[in-house]
Amino acid sequence: MLVSLHISLWAFSQTSISLSVRKQPLSAVLTLIEQKSDYRFLYRETSAFSRKEISLKVENASLDYVLSLILEGTDLGYTINENHLIMIGEKEEVTVLPADWITGVVKNERGDPLPNVSVLIKGTTRGTQTDERGRFSIEVAEGDSLQFSYIGFEPQSVKAGHGSALAIILRSVNQQINEVVVVGYSDKKRSELTSAITVISAEKLKDVTTNDIGSMLQGKVAGLQVVNSSGAPGAAAEIRLRGVSSVNASQSPLIVVDGIIGGNYDPNDVETITVLKDAGATAMYGSQANAGVIIITTKKAAAGKTSFEAKITTGFRTPDFGKMKMMSGSQLYEHQKEYYRDYIPGDTGNSYKVDLLQFINERPRSLRTQNYDWLSDMFKRAPMTNFYFSASGRTEKSDYYLGLTYYDEKGTFLNTDYQRINLRANSTHHFTPGISLSNNINVSGTTGKSYDYNDVYYAYLNMPWDNPYDSVGKPVYVDGNSTFKWWSRDKVNPIHTIANSNHPYKNFDANYDLDFNAAITSWLSFSSTNRGAASYFKGTTYYSPLVAGTYSGTGYLDEESTLNYGYISNDLLKFNLSSGEHRISGLAGVAFEGSHTELMGASGKGLPVGLQVLSVVSNTQAVSGSNDASIIQSYISQLNYSFRDRYFLSGSYRVDGSSAFPSGHRYASFPSVSAAWLASRESFLAGSHTINNLKFRLSYGVTGTQDIGSSRYLGLYSLSSQYNSTVAAEPSQLASPDLTWESKYQWNAGIDIGLFRRIDLTVDLYNNITKKLLLQVSQPLSVGFEQRWENTGQIVNNGIEIGLSTANILTRDFSWKTDFNISFNTNKLRQFPATNINTQSTWSISQIYREKGNLYEFYMPKWLGVDPQTGAPLWEQITKDAQGKVIYREATSNYDSATYQEVGSPLPKFQGGITNTFRYKRLSLSVNAYFLYGNKVFSNSLRFVENDGTEPYYNQAVLPKGYKIWTKPGDIATEPSPQNATNSTQTSSRYLKDGSFISIRNVALIYELPSAFLKRIGVNGVTVGISADNVYTFTKFFGQDPQTTITPGTYVMPGVSDFKYPNNRQYLFNVAFRF
Amino acid sequence: MNRVFKIRIFAGRAMNGILLFFVLPALLLTTACVKDVTPSDSITTATLTTTSDGLANAVNGAYALLKDHVTFAGSTDENNMYLRQYFECSDFASDDIVCGQTTTDPLYYSFSLGHTATQTNMRYFWYISYKIINDANTVIEAAEKISNPDVSTRQLLGECYFLRAFAHFNLVRFFALPYTTSPSGTGVILRTSSMDPAIKARSTVQEVYQSVIGDAEKGASLMNAARGVGYASKEAAWSLLSRVFLYEENNDSTIYYSNQVINSGKFSLTTAATFPSLFANAMSGTETIFCVAFTSAEDYGKFGSIASMVYSNGNSGWGEEYASPSLRDTMSAHPEDIRWSYIVPDTVGGVIQKKNGIEMYYISKFSNQGGSPTLSSPIMFRLAEMYLNRAEAEAKAGQIAEALNDVDMIRTNRGLSASLYNGQIPSGQTALDVVLKERRIELAFEGHRSFDVYRNKRSMNRTYWGYHLLGLKESDIDLSVLPSGYANMIITPDNPKIIYYIPIDEIETNSLCTQNN
Repeated sequence: MLVSLHISLWAFSQTSISLSVRKQPLSAVLTLIEQKSDYRFLYRETSAFSRKEISLKVENASLDYVLSLILEGTDLGYTINENHLIMIGEKEEVTVLPADWITGVVKNERGDPLPNVSVLIKGTTRGTQTDERGRFSIEVAEGDSLQFSYIGFEPQSVKAGHGSALAIILRSVNQQINEVVVVGYSDKKRSELTSAITVISAEKLKDVTTNDIGSMLQGKVAGLQVVNSSGAPGAAAEIRLRGVSSVNASQSPLIVVDGIIGGNYDPNDVETITVLKDAGATAMYGSQANAGVIIITTKKAAAGKTSFEAKITTGFRTPDFGKMKMMSGSQLYEHQKEYYRDYIPGDTGNSYKVDLLQFINERPRSLRTQNYDWLSDMFKRAPMTNFYFSASGRTEKSDYYLGLTYYDEKGTFLNTDYQRINLRANSTHHFTPGISLSNNINVSGTTGKSYDYNDVYYAYLNMPWDNPYDSVGKPVYVDGNSTFKWWSRDKVNPIHTIANSNHPYKNFDANYDLDFNAAITSWLSFSSTNRGAASYFKGTTYYSPLVAGTYSGTGYLDEESTLNYGYISNDLLKFNLSSGEHRISGLAGVAFEGSHTELMGASGKGLPVGLQVLSVVSNTQAVSGSNDASIIQSYISQLNYSFRDRYFLSGSYRVDGSSAFPSGHRYASFPSVSAAWLASRESFLAGSHTINNLKFRLSYGVTGTQDIGSSRYLGLYSLSSQYNSTVAAEPSQLASPDLTWESKYQWNAGIDIGLFRRIDLTVDLYNNITKKLLLQVSQPLSVGFEQRWENTGQIVNNGIEIGLSTANILTRDFSWKTDFNISFNTNKLRQFPATNINTQSTWSISQIYREKGNLYEFYMPKWLGVDPQTGAPLWEQITKDAQGKVIYREATSNYDSATYQEVGSPLPKFQGGITNTFRYKRLSLSVNAYFLYGNKVFSNSLRFVENDGTEPYYNQAVLPKGYKIWTKPGDIATEPSPQNATNSTQTSSRYLKDGSFISIRNVALIYELPSAFLKRIGVNGVTVGISADNVYTFTKFFGQDPQTTITPGTYVMPGVSDFKYPNNRQYLFNVAFRF
Repeated sequence: MNRVFKIRIFAGRAMNGILLFFVLPALLLTTACVKDVTPSDSITTATLTTTSDGLANAVNGAYALLKDHVTFAGSTDENNMYLRQYFECSDFASDDIVCGQTTTDPLYYSFSLGHTATQTNMRYFWYISYKIINDANTVIEAAEKISNPDVSTRQLLGECYFLRAFAHFNLVRFFALPYTTSPSGTGVILRTSSMDPAIKARSTVQEVYQSVIGDAEKGASLMNAARGVGYASKEAAWSLLSRVFLYEENNDSTIYYSNQVINSGKFSLTTAATFPSLFANAMSGTETIFCVAFTSAEDYGKFGSIASMVYSNGNSGWGEEYASPSLRDTMSAHPEDIRWSYIVPDTVGGVIQKKNGIEMYYISKFSNQGGSPTLSSPIMFRLAEMYLNRAEAEAKAGQIAEALNDVDMIRTNRGLSASLYNGQIPSGQTALDVVLKERRIELAFEGHRSFDVYRNKRSMNRTYWGYHLLGLKESDIDLSVLPSGYANMIITPDNPKIIYYIPIDEIETNSLCTQNN
């Protein structure tokens, strides 16, 4: 180790500094300052002083400002004593000064004095605070350290010495300009970013405890729509970024974990999340980035010494049934009187009176008190617990992080739960400062119990007049042969079914990452990141022979398993060159990705009671099995240029080849270019107190999609069927030999503004055009195929996103900050082929895809209410002339003649979130709300629970205020007469509701225990907190829940709300220890 | 200096090794290329049609489509099965089956006549019909390229002609007005080549019939290596021709093709002793000409079987539709009629049970294969129909004695030897009345009744209690009297709802396809 004490003895009385240097080592710059001022520097000449290349131009700047610039990005800090002697060293160990009273001044980076800064002697309660000119004095002893802290600034520790004056510079935490952001295949400083990127730190994620990162992000990122459509244990939220830009390809953003596409992780292990929104950033991921990219960075060792963290969260969940309240026994009794009104449509002698005699004859009065609440019997308050433990540390050669999580969630619905155990071990070994090898491993095991949709369905629809339990409290068996009176439509007791069935699943998942980084020369390095991943999933459906229904007496067992395995390798050469005020960096390399899926399943009937393995099924055995694979090969390159750290230009070019397309159509290229101007670094803004950050960004780029499954281009016969026990081949797919990539062309313009160091505003405008859509173009059914894959049509998404963070109040004891975001998106289809209808099979709900239409636009007859004269339902019938012009509109009670029309889309007009964080001393409170506006939801459950008596043996929902049943001519009603309700429950806009809502997503209260006491017991910090999730939802929506799936799927149409596992309210207590 | 240098060398060697370890695979990967990924459970059309195994598999596929739950409109719905829709949409629209419960299942529209172009059951039926036709066309086009095909290839080819004819004929029955109403009326889209443009207009009813007859005749000539009653055969093609000509009221041809089958000597009528077990054992029944083979793997249970709506042992099905009072009245004079064995009253202590006020007489023609309440191999053609086709043609041709003889032939084998017509038409009736009554009872629930009524320009009388009566509440039912004042109790043959709408999917994508009124 070479140690040199470098002491300069010049002394001038200059206080402001002007400097212009290019690519100089730190030591040279310090010498220059010494030459131009009366300051002298004292430091150990470590490598940092000779290697660091500094380019700087300042005019009449304060010393503090200059120092903050030249030391930025290092671990170095400094102190200044009265003799203008400046000591530079590692922040923790700067200066060794004699003990006694010391004085000093605390300033911000710009050199403004900071009043009311807390000055504490570490490990004691002794302290003071700065005056209005930022000055303080305090008595210290040998070896004491001083702790400076002030809201909104990073705390700083300084070892105190005798007889010296300290000049402390506190860095604002709002000033994130130097924060390193993980983007694409490289890291960049925030100031260098040229594209629309949102970073969410662990700090902002910790309010919500969940097993799913999507739920954590809800309401926190402009442009990100997060839908919690199911409350089933372990269910993941659906995420959409900047609207929906594809019809058939996956619309979930690409998840990248620690630099590699895909991967498994536990939310507790997450350090930061970076959301890449525009093509300037996402094009680096080329073919898979059409729906945006979410980069997850897991925790690495933070501090030098070994530290531990333990967190325990426990609490409970309750089901949130929303605004659809089911009737009690007596309510239903009153309601059913309407079914006994003396009214035969078209007849003349109608009295319109309820025939009470007959009613009571068929509905004994005792029913009024038969009041079994199926929902509260089947949905219970359920506990949840999360344990998290981590250890991390760093030595000279290696660092490591170990995280262990156990998550245990019971479901609110009977016999449902979810447990997960996750282990993550990240370690990096530095062979030399330039060469390192990382081993990251993530292993998780999951077990859980799912549920059968029918059981939820009956929980809502079985009548309160039926008692699910017998006289000793056991679930009663009901079937078609039961001789006792069972009112509910279907002879099923779901509680009995659940007690004798099971839907368990298990999942095991392992990821292993091997990353290698080597500096080849001072400007060139090689990086190889590799992952092998394997997972195994097994799901079981079991019905005992004891359940009523189709498996009664036989039982049924079905087991399905899926094996996934794959590997990814990214091998890149990276370079970084600078010359004067020019810097150029970039990378080039290859990536290869392969994944395989193997499915296997077997089922059978005829189970002995009590046994549930496949070997004992005695009949109707069936087996299934299939494989699939996909291969993607990519060439990646990127070039970044910056000038004077103010002008930034970045370009990337990626070529991807995918096995999803026929040879000749496999490769596509994905270019991007983006630029930024960091105007706040210009001399006319430098030092401005009003505008502390101003940046303009512009980007253009292309991303692609191939994620439609393999072999979509082939004309196929499926061989998975049999006839008379021999192989049967059925035509399954029309050939489309020219099928190729769908591509999204994206423009983004953005501005970042920081004002008064209190306000950060980011505004982005975008125009995204998805071309050559991979569309399943509807064919006339008479060709024998529903559709054919083609590249046709475009989707245009235009939008604006606004993110605003403000520090409303900042004092020593109290602070109030607000993070607000809102995004508007419009969606248009164009260049579409002939009208293309997608209709949900079961309920004939259709959505139309047509030229100039909206994605997912509902297409159905428009409901016009109830005919006041007859009580019949009314729909709109439109008559058009030969040119398609509307001649007139009229109301009809004949559903068949009602006109199909476009009535709205489930995609919101705008959405966003707001988080308010209050801190009083050690207590902090955050309140997070999420809102969505202008989306239509088809509340399909209403077809059953608002059914006008067409299904008299289903329980009904209590009609909301303002709803009224027609009882006699002249009534202005919303509900048709039960006597004249033909087709009233058919698909129409009657059940299409406004899905807008504001939800109090989360309220969290956290208290940090005083450290003085904790120190004595060897603990660094303890926080305790309580939180509540989904506290309340403000909505006019009539139905189970306006949060409805937006992912098309089997039995599922975006924006159609059916009976589902209800979302939960969650109340948790948590305590975290750091030691 | 020396020491430092040594360390560097050491580190350098290790690094070189590691560098190689990573760089080499990286270089290999750059040269690797994206391979074809072929599906593991499918085969390309081109490959399939060039092997004889492949052709056999593709023909099997056409049969399998009759029984499979094929994915449609994004989901694989157990309600969707060609044969389930075939039986429900014909017989639920007749006076043989009564509805015991309103339901959101589109099968209800067959009762209520609330047809829509979006009703999923008929959209699926249309789709699968044409998938069968497409499959047949693909095989026909491939097989006709083979020079000097052997007898088994010719058999396969013939089966495809038969299946194409069968599918087209069923389409034209469900979606077009009867031939007897107007041969020049709009029929369905004819698909006899896979090269046809996708956008195509509907042919006339007559054109469809001509194509069906041509295909069936060609099929009959090609099929000379019968594979059992689970597959089409020469006789199955003749049976289809007998039925098609009956619908055309071409009496001579009907009689001719009925005779071809009856005289083939391959089939014999079941007797009073064996008839009750015919439908549970269709594959081995002496009367079966062609049935769709279901194995225990295709026992679809409560959600997917044909039986589930019309039969239940308490658990096996929904059991919401029953043998109608009208049919039971027709049969009531002869409790000894062995055909009652397929009407199973649900009784507790001898008392008939009711669902929502409707008496529960289950129908068991789709049950009891291998003892399962939800399994059968539905019979598409059987010998009794040939006698009855012939009888109807004879009655219309004025050959009264022959017609009554054929009816008696059936009655003799159904336990009614004591109640034969013996050449005497009961007073106030015609020979056709006698034949149609026998036909109704014999072929009940087998998908004939609605067509038989309307093609003979008769009205359907559904004046009995059931939930086909719109707005009916249980409290309205009084079984001691007949209902009155409800709409649609008598459905005349000019009612547009005697057929179904062309599915919305076709209308929206095929600009030349017109909708039914």
